[in-house]
Amino acid sequence: MGSDMRLRIGGFAGFLALLLVAPAFLGEYQVHALIVSLTFLLPALGLNLILGYAGMLSFAQMAFFGIGAYVSALMAMRWGTPFWLNFLAAGVVAGVVALPLGIPALRLRKYSFVMCTLGFAVIAQTLAKNWVSVTRGDLGLSNVPRPMLGLWSGGIEIRGITSYYYLALGLSVIAVLAFLAIVSSPAGRYMIAIREDETLAASVGAPTWRYRMAAFVLSGVFAGCGGSFYVHYYTVISPTIFDPYYGNTLLVIVLGGGVGTLGGVVAGSFIFVALSEVLRVAPDIRMIAYGLLLIVVVFGCPEGLLPLLMRKLRRPTHAT
Amino acid sequence: MLTDVAVNGITAGSVYALVAVGMTIIFGVLRAINFAHGEYYMLGTFGAWWAIETVELPYLVSIPAAVVIVGVIAFAIGVLVMRRLIDAPFQIGVVATLGVSLVLQNVVILVFGGSYKMFDGGWIEPVDIFGAGVSQQRIIIVIAALVIFGGLELMVRRTRFGKTMRAVAQNIEACKIMGVDVPRVVTGTFVLGCCLAALSGALTAPVTGSLYGGMGTAITVKTFAIIVMGGVGNVGGTLLAAWLLGLMESAVAGYLGLQFRDAVAFVALIAVLTVMPGGLFSRRERF
Repeated sequence: MGSDMRLRIGGFAGFLALLLVAPAFLGEYQVHALIVSLTFLLPALGLNLILGYAGMLSFAQMAFFGIGAYVSALMAMRWGTPFWLNFLAAGVVAGVVALPLGIPALRLRKYSFVMCTLGFAVIAQTLAKNWVSVTRGDLGLSNVPRPMLGLWSGGIEIRGITSYYYLALGLSVIAVLAFLAIVSSPAGRYMIAIREDETLAASVGAPTWRYRMAAFVLSGVFAGCGGSFYVHYYTVISPTIFDPYYGNTLLVIVLGGGVGTLGGVVAGSFIFVALSEVLRVAPDIRMIAYGLLLIVVVFGCPEGLLPLLMRKLRRPTHAT
Repeated sequence: MLTDVAVNGITAGSVYALVAVGMTIIFGVLRAINFAHGEYYMLGTFGAWWAIETVELPYLVSIPAAVVIVGVIAFAIGVLVMRRLIDAPFQIGVVATLGVSLVLQNVVILVFGGSYKMFDGGWIEPVDIFGAGVSQQRIIIVIAALVIFGGLELMVRRTRFGKTMRAVAQNIEACKIMGVDVPRVVTGTFVLGCCLAALSGALTAPVTGSLYGGMGTAITVKTFAIIVMGGVGNVGGTLLAAWLLGLMESAVAGYLGLQFRDAVAFVALIAVLTVMPGGLFSRRERF
């Protein structure tokens, strides 16, 4: 196990070092693609928490992402609040919204839960389209201010693509560390116990409902924070953010990368966003190829790409 | 107004019911949420449209033509994809059927183009019912739904295939031990479910009047709400839940505004599940 741990830490450190120097070697478009990957990483970590650790498949992630984006954009536009405050508020509001949804939804069995969370995304989109006085409906919000890194007003404005990239990387590192802290805490171990066998976990006194709720709310916080970064990067937001396409991409990242693993989700964010970008060379068949790829990946390596890769790496040491 | 709302609601509900019952029997044998189910409805509409526009068949013949075309496509997907979902964790089914949905939708857009098309066919002469003008096509849809649901109940209870289907839905392990050809039952159920969705698509086309490649997605998500409210695997419950949703949608569209219609299904779903976790017609929650 010791060598396994070292391999993981080494892998993460190496990957982070690579990401730190990446902009020096890449063009503007590739850096943009990396930023998109990092934008998906936050809601993907949230989905990993609820699906990989609490065992519940949620389609509400993109709804929380969108809610976070709207909250952050509206705060910056109406009150000129600094980025850190918008970012935190986006996470808090998404988490608070998750609470009343979780009360009925988390009592359900896993299939009904899936439908309920999917429905939540549809309701969120309807609201964003029709609450015109706040969201401006289908037009969406445009000219969202760029992030201001100051304590209250003023401070450094993030403009260039490289500074956006380092902001995204910094936030992602914080999110990954927060995720690690959650899953290695006693609460995280309870979540795993509930995923493996809910009845057994309950029989030894684990408050299953409370931990599932915690996982659901935290998944909302991750997604909401991700939405905040997204909206200040693209500077526009419209109800299309709630479209199934984005939610599906998230699902593919987590399930294709390796659900229930941290490395798998990180790798998945980069691999599947990169694939989606590469397929842009053939716009006519892009989505067809993407769909076929999903089917091949899911049957070829049902546990996800990274666990498969790790097994391949480990096999030689087992042989000796 | 009230009659209009009721007629529209029952028609829309019957359309949903035909799609949803296919999804619910597929769920029964596979325990997989079929995210591509609305695409077979879309393919049914396109099949009928293609038969009328390109092959120049009359509408009456285009309906069975569409069902057969979709049946063949569904058989191929059943063998290539759905059979592999037997005993697979349910997340695998979600991703695989999402993949199928993307492929079907975008192949149609690639072949026929992404724009809206007009559907020219069907019987749209109004008939007077309680003072409201109802097109013949709507009456046909409701009658078709009733006949098919009656037939399905009979098939599920009386025929050998129906009994095998129920047996697989109850206990797949025991069926394997008893020598039931589970993959064949799965493929058969899948093709049947998809053909019902296609029939629904071909029957609705004259009422909706237009078609486009992305039209299946909204149907898929509404179908989810219906099968959960009706109780998953419950054929009769599906019809009632679909009618109920159709009526509620039609009332909301009529009195509140069309833009709120698509959210009705899920507000209702969350409300129903809060009070009755097993759906409208079951005390027990099963899935």
